[in-house]
Amino acid sequence: MNIQDNYLKNKKNIFFSDNKDIQTHRDKLINIFENDRFDKKNNESLKNINLKNFIDFKYKYLIPEETSVINNNQENSYSIVSVNGQCSSFKDDKIEITKILDEDYNDFSKNDTIENNDHFVNLNSLFLNSGFKIVIKKNNNIKIKISNIITDDNLTIFQKNNYICEEGSSLNLIEEYENKNNSTSNILNVIKLEKNSQLNHFLIQDNSPNHNLIITTHSSCKKDSTYTQKVYNFSEGYVRNFHYSELIEVNSEADLQGIFFLKDNNTSNNKTFVKHLAEDCKSNQVYKGILNDRSKATYFSNTHVDQVAQKTEGYQLSKGILLSENASYFSKPELKIYADDVKCSHGSTIGPIDENAIFYLRSRGMSKIAATKILISSFINEELSSIDNEQMSEIIQKKLVRYLSKVK
Amino acid sequence: MFLEIKDLSVKIENKNILKSLNLNINKGEVHAIMGPNGSGKSTLANVLAGKEDYEILNGKINFKDNDLFDLNIEERAQEGMFLAFQYPVEIPGVNITPFLHSAINSKRKRMNEEEIDNLSFAKLLKSKASDLGINIDMLKRSVNTGFSGGEKKRYEILQMSILNPDLAILDETDSGLDIDALKIVTDGVNKLKTKDNSFLIITHYQKLLDYIKPDYVHVMVNGSIVKSGGSEIAAEIEKDGFQKFQ
Ligand SMILES: Nc1ncnc2c1ncn2[C@@H]1O[C@H](COP(=O)(O)OP(=O)(O)OP(=O)(O)O)[C@@H](O)[C@H]1O
Ligand SMILES: [Mg+2]
Repeated sequence: MNIQDNYLKNKKNIFFSDNKDIQTHRDKLINIFENDRFDKKNNESLKNINLKNFIDFKYKYLIPEETSVINNNQENSYSIVSVNGQCSSFKDDKIEITKILDEDYNDFSKNDTIENNDHFVNLNSLFLNSGFKIVIKKNNNIKIKISNIITDDNLTIFQKNNYICEEGSSLNLIEEYENKNNSTSNILNVIKLEKNSQLNHFLIQDNSPNHNLIITTHSSCKKDSTYTQKVYNFSEGYVRNFHYSELIEVNSEADLQGIFFLKDNNTSNNKTFVKHLAEDCKSNQVYKGILNDRSKATYFSNTHVDQVAQKTEGYQLSKGILLSENASYFSKPELKIYADDVKCSHGSTIGPIDENAIFYLRSRGMSKIAATKILISSFINEELSSIDNEQMSEIIQKKLVRYLSKVK
Repeated sequence: MFLEIKDLSVKIENKNILKSLNLNINKGEVHAIMGPNGSGKSTLANVLAGKEDYEILNGKINFKDNDLFDLNIEERAQEGMFLAFQYPVEIPGVNITPFLHSAINSKRKRMNEEEIDNLSFAKLLKSKASDLGINIDMLKRSVNTGFSGGEKKRYEILQMSILNPDLAILDETDSGLDIDALKIVTDGVNKLKTKDNSFLIITHYQKLLDYIKPDYVHVMVNGSIVKSGGSEIAAEIEKDGFQKFQ
């Protein structure tokens, strides 16, 4: 079934289908899909993707029951089980959780900063069927853990979440994606950091081979705020991590990091994009990948410095280890600088594991496989040792051990 | 015979480096090899340790009743061979202590000895380090990463004294060491020396051989051993250089 048919058939179930403006917006999107025909050559969002999975998707439309559970287990600490992209409402004096509202969606569709030719974001806008909004109230310091669960095979979730960190607030957000069924999640997170707020966002991705995850984040930072994102992709299924940040007021920071572990025939597409729109802001974009067997990855990083954004500091790095001759990792850093007083740099090193280091370790009696494993662990040592949450560090270690056990 | 190298010829990237080289080392002996730059000394050391970049054109090597070419790199180490590298490799992110611990245990496993536990290993490491004048803080660092030239050499000897090899090959361990460090390091070697283990010492300087007394000195030129004898050869080289051997 094609996109248009899918859309017409399910129209009445899609969020906000009564809203006129949104209707117009969606008609435009449908047009784009009809005319563009998914031109792979000129669209970064389509490179190296097996489109079949996404265009001919078995679209099973289901407005999920609100079965999510919210627990306020300790003071300032919440755990949420989000089922099929939904989350029940919850409110106390520190946070507020609601289903996404009409106004949020309008807010988003007017937002032209997210690249408007990203087909997967467009699909998300078109078929939106789930999502929620979380507000962290002023000056609170909160921890949230969200486990994302999908209940059915052949289900396609189009989810949009809005996060708002109010002035002076601080949020530590851990999201787990561990889906075992044959389904697809297309998730868009829109994150707003108000003055002097902070968000540490961890995404742990560990889906089985038949689950596709497309996750896109768009964060914007006001004065003195910091957004830090760390992606750990252990998935055996396809994952697309596209994350955009805008530094819209002075002295704000965006730090977008990721590590991915690929094997078999798996693919992962990654992109980070930071737009500096104010003075004295800092950004960091670092992705590291380990690729085995016939796996493939791409990583596009992008720093855009507006002409008003003096004293910008921007750093981009991509590193990869290819454990097999048949694995491939394509990485392309880009810098567009329109201001004159900036410090920006980028680097990229991708290659097989260091043979001299292997020889050195083996010459001390370590087996080849043990030497390989120790070098893989050391490659991401910095990322692992900087996890200051003990429970999370354990989770990541376990997944790493599982990945390494398959390395021959 | 403990180590027997017979008629060894080795090439790398279409260049013949070792040419019909012969060398025999018995248990308990100390041999020194001297030779000009590029004569193939490190190549010999690497081939013994099992580095895979080389093409063995001809020859046989026996080590403790094994055909050395039947053993891979780690098996050679576990059988008691140790190479102190001329240029130790920096390995960021790999911590010295667990690495050495796992190295010693893989050797013990092969020898059917009991593995050494964390606590005993930490004690062993500490005491050996202090013998070699190595700061305890250094043991918390990554392998060779950011070490000075001299620190790297000391650290090679620390590994050697922990692993207690039957055959230790020291490739220019003396270069880069100041005079006090040279004394400490050679003391370490002498302490380790018994009637059951052997040393192959590659050096450019007679000075080292004042501290570690060799039983034999060999002159290597252009991939072959052209002369063997006692320590008097080292004195000759110190005086006249390699000219007359070429
Ligand atoms: N990977 C390689 N590719 C090409 N040539 C090589 C390679 N490795 C070594 N060689 C060459 O082999 C020769 C012997 O090198 P080797 O390192 O064994 O010399 P050496 O006797 O240890 O010298 P030095 O005293 O300077 O340490 C040199 O000419 C060197 O350039
Ligand atoms: Mg050399």
